[in-house]
Amino acid sequence: MTDQDDNDKPDSAPSESDEFGLVAPTGNFTEGSQANRSDIERSTTNVSKPVATTSGDFKQMSWRGFEEEDEDPDPAIRFDKDEDKEHDDLDMTPMVDVVFLLLIFFMVTASFTLQKSIEQPPSKIEDPSTNVIEDPEDEDDYVEVIIDQTNTYYITSRDAEEIEAPSDREMRDRMRDAKRTTGAPRLIIKAHVDSMHRKVVTVWDAGNAAGFEQIEMKTMEEDY
Amino acid sequence: MTSQENEDVLPRRKSDEDADLDITPMIDITFLLLAFFVMVSKMDPQLPVSLPQALNGDVIPEKNCVVLVVLKGEGDDGYTIYKGRTKDNSDAVVGDDPVEMESQIAEYVEDTLSRNPKIQAVLIKAEGDVKTGAVETVKRGVAGSDLGLTRRLYVAVETTQ
Repeated sequence: MTDQDDNDKPDSAPSESDEFGLVAPTGNFTEGSQANRSDIERSTTNVSKPVATTSGDFKQMSWRGFEEEDEDPDPAIRFDKDEDKEHDDLDMTPMVDVVFLLLIFFMVTASFTLQKSIEQPPSKIEDPSTNVIEDPEDEDDYVEVIIDQTNTYYITSRDAEEIEAPSDREMRDRMRDAKRTTGAPRLIIKAHVDSMHRKVVTVWDAGNAAGFEQIEMKTMEEDY
Repeated sequence: MTSQENEDVLPRRKSDEDADLDITPMIDITFLLLAFFVMVSKMDPQLPVSLPQALNGDVIPEKNCVVLVVLKGEGDDGYTIYKGRTKDNSDAVVGDDPVEMESQIAEYVEDTLSRNPKIQAVLIKAEGDVKTGAVETVKRGVAGSDLGLTRRLYVAVETTQ
């Protein structure tokens, strides 16, 4: 039964390609469906007529595939034959999937134990009530950012007027400008005790981004 | 042709056995994964902290730190300081007086660092919504410990890009 099928197919396949006016290695197909031989045949014909032959082969192969599925009286054998070809590839896939999953999982858990953070100098213990704000004019050039009790930023630099910056973005821009114009190496953050911690971190981050070499922080209890 | 047919039949039997064998390592690894998940989830119950956002941050291993967590509490000024990463009420710093809280923090930092001298840093994980004064209390507490002063001080952030 199956022998007959094999013999029928090659006959119909070349005729199909003839309709498209393609050159088909007919000898190869009447002899049987040995894949190796057809490969050799294809590679030799490729040299002379690459485009036509490859598309012709493709047509024949797909045609054969249809015939097998449609007319095979014992489909179980044919299906297994197909599966067997793919089996070597499929075998590895779930394992590789799980290994990748494992890898991703490890990576995620590893990043949990790592914490992004900003280094800050240790605070100096002083009695807050006697914390007199010094005038650090004699020291290096500096840019000062004040965060008041309503979480508004005020930026002061050497030659500039104090600028109020209501938004984070504006504060970043102003600070970058101040850094560029003065070239000051120091940033002083003066935060009111009732201001939000988030605002302090934002200023500190902006200071790092602007390229200040030294960032100091002071807290104040008097309203600004 | 008939000989070829026989060759086709033989590998089919083999592939049937392969299908059974195939699933075993996958199940093994899945169980391993499951066991790992269970272990990890029990070992490390972390506090959910909504950290302040920053563009850049140094990456430091949390295990190599003395961790102090500051969470926003009830009301406008309310906050709770936890010694360590877990939300265990015995680890909470009690009291309303900042000076008293500072001394508790200093004691905790000093104690932890003397027991584990390899720890390189102090990490403050403060929520973005707590007030600067609360974080400053923790900082002063750390500065109150002699060993704490010799370590680097970090404030945890969440990076956005």
